[in-house]
Amino acid sequence: MIVGEQKSIEEIKKIVSPYKKVLILGCGTCVKTCFAGGEDEVAVLASALRLAFKKDGRQIEVEEFTVERQCEDEFVQESAEAIDRNESVLSLACGAGVQAIARRYEETPVLPGVNTTFLGVLEKHGLFTEECSGCGDCQLAVFGSVCPYTRCAKKLLNGPCGGSREGKCEVDPETDCAWNLIIHRLKMLGQLNNLRVYIPPKNWSGSGSCGPRKLIRKDHIL
Amino acid sequence: MEKQFKPKISVFHCINVFGDGEVLLPPERQDAAVEFIKLPCSSMIKDVFMLRAFEAGADAVMVMVCPEGACRYVEGNLRAKKRVGWVKNLLDEIGLDGRRLGLFNVPSEDAAVVGQIIEQTLSDLADLGPNPAA
Amino acid sequence: MKGNTAGKLEKILSSDGFAITAECGPPRGADAQVIRNKAQVLNGYVDAVNVTDNQTAIVRMSSIAACAHLMAMGLEPIMQMVTRDRNRIALQSDILGAYSLGIQNILCLSGDHQTFGSHPEALNVFDIDSMNLVRMVLDMREEGRDMSGFDLKKPPRMFIGAAANPFADPFEYRVIRLAKKIDAGADFIQTQCVYNMDRFKDWIRMAREEGLTEKVHILAGVTPLKSEGMARYMARRVAGMDVPEPLIKRMGGVPKKKAAEEGVKICLETIAEVREIKDVHGIHIMAIEWEEIVGEIVETAGLMPRPTLKS
Ligand code: SF4
Ligand code: SF4
Repeated sequence: MIVGEQKSIEEIKKIVSPYKKVLILGCGTCVKTCFAGGEDEVAVLASALRLAFKKDGRQIEVEEFTVERQCEDEFVQESAEAIDRNESVLSLACGAGVQAIARRYEETPVLPGVNTTFLGVLEKHGLFTEECSGCGDCQLAVFGSVCPYTRCAKKLLNGPCGGSREGKCEVDPETDCAWNLIIHRLKMLGQLNNLRVYIPPKNWSGSGSCGPRKLIRKDHIL
Repeated sequence: MEKQFKPKISVFHCINVFGDGEVLLPPERQDAAVEFIKLPCSSMIKDVFMLRAFEAGADAVMVMVCPEGACRYVEGNLRAKKRVGWVKNLLDEIGLDGRRLGLFNVPSEDAAVVGQIIEQTLSDLADLGPNPAA
Repeated sequence: MKGNTAGKLEKILSSDGFAITAECGPPRGADAQVIRNKAQVLNGYVDAVNVTDNQTAIVRMSSIAACAHLMAMGLEPIMQMVTRDRNRIALQSDILGAYSLGIQNILCLSGDHQTFGSHPEALNVFDIDSMNLVRMVLDMREEGRDMSGFDLKKPPRMFIGAAANPFADPFEYRVIRLAKKIDAGADFIQTQCVYNMDRFKDWIRMAREEGLTEKVHILAGVTPLKSEGMARYMARRVAGMDVPEPLIKRMGGVPKKKAAEEGVKICLETIAEVREIKDVHGIHIMAIEWEEIVGEIVETAGLMPRPTLKS
């Protein structure tokens, strides 16, 4: 799923401050799971903002609404009336959701309330970890299903750097060294020979470095 | 002339701590308004309830839960503690002062303790003053 | 391990000599005199000088430019190059440019992570890794082609170095990684500082058993310790460093004034011991901000005079 974290109240106050009426728009999919922008977070943020503005003696109306998914136009439409009633939208979806709303409501300022951070896994309740960078050319088969492009701080393809220590990464001792995980997995799979194989430079042309990517499914387009 | 400050407190409590409003304020405290909101378990407390209580004008919000290790639903009071901590930070961020919110572990059916805690909160409020967003 | 390059380093190593290299970090400024002063104290005592590439991710004078200053003084540089800051286009271009200036040796590294340096907010590159870089330089030299397969007019012929850390985890993997670097094209290896001699010897033994020591020249890294504090700092804070506790104690066991002397003594003992290992073909002295001690170490170790092969 896409993982994000709500911006600070301070920053949110700043970006919505030019407007008198703000709709806080939540998204019920990924950002709900990571406690950044589901219905509950919308309610809390709305309440906190109302308190904050009231304390500052400012008259700003805050309305709440949540759709199932902000990245799908079908769901986005449900927010039409609420958006009409307001001057601006503070979206608590990922960056894609924010843009999907902005695309449909061209004359409404749509502002981000969340910092979208990564594609990750819910490791345990309240802990999310980054696992994939959407490189467009998945090579997990060689690496025992642990992604070095994402999980090694140096994107090393041919084994750990000299700083790997006791299974932890030199950049952050709280984070597992991706290569330690890879070696462990390959050991479990009896594929340690993979380690001896030279991995040539990665082809990044399918990654974000060539401009925005597109997926076209001709069989689904009428 | 400055209006006299009549503190308003909202108390969220788990029904296992005490039942309906048996907690009476001492006569000299009759100027304060204390509202009790009961919850089947303290884990039912949501961040937004606490914030809405402040929006409704509370000067302080108290969450009363069973002592640690004594929750009927095992970890309800621990969850409540985490949420209260989170909302306290939020209140600080807003500038409302996190000290207006507190979590209290209260032995079951101990009205005296509850009374003492409320008493303490009232005296803290004398320093904190009224909710600036009320 | 036969590059047929024109450099002195390869000549010494391929004629069974014992090579000495030292490290020299460019300044955080544009003053060429700083690098000249550092190099001057090394002149005559070492066979080649590693010039670091924004080491510890701190912005410094470029490695290529500093190498050029060294060459003007008659020293042979080993240009260090990290994949952290440049993509494959910039790396290749810099290699061509470096060779055109007369730089004959390269040490291929991935580089310290930028979070440790002066610009933690920088975007890193890591388009390719150090292994890929080794292979790239090899392909330029042996096939005469760049990474895209384009035939280069006058391809660069560089003597290719890579780093190895016998002390990092997982230990069993360290020899596999060495083998990969050799396959990728490394002619010589400079190791992380040797303080844990037992582990170093284990690593060499494993490499020998795999037949690796015949395929590559290994230069053992040494760093003279200046104080107990430095030893402790390296043990705790420097990624991939293994300084055994008894050594730290030994540094602490002498009066503060004598600590540097003790550090040099330890360094000399290490050098004497690695010289006994026939699969070690040289030493790499990393006297961080203490270049002036290198001459004394080389002299006391009995490694003077240095061969005067013309590069
Ligand atoms: S290889 Fe690419 S697609 Fe596969 S997990 Fe890694 S980043 Fe994601
Ligand atoms: S310690 Fe491991 S994960 Fe961290 S940079 Fe080195 S190889 Fe990558």
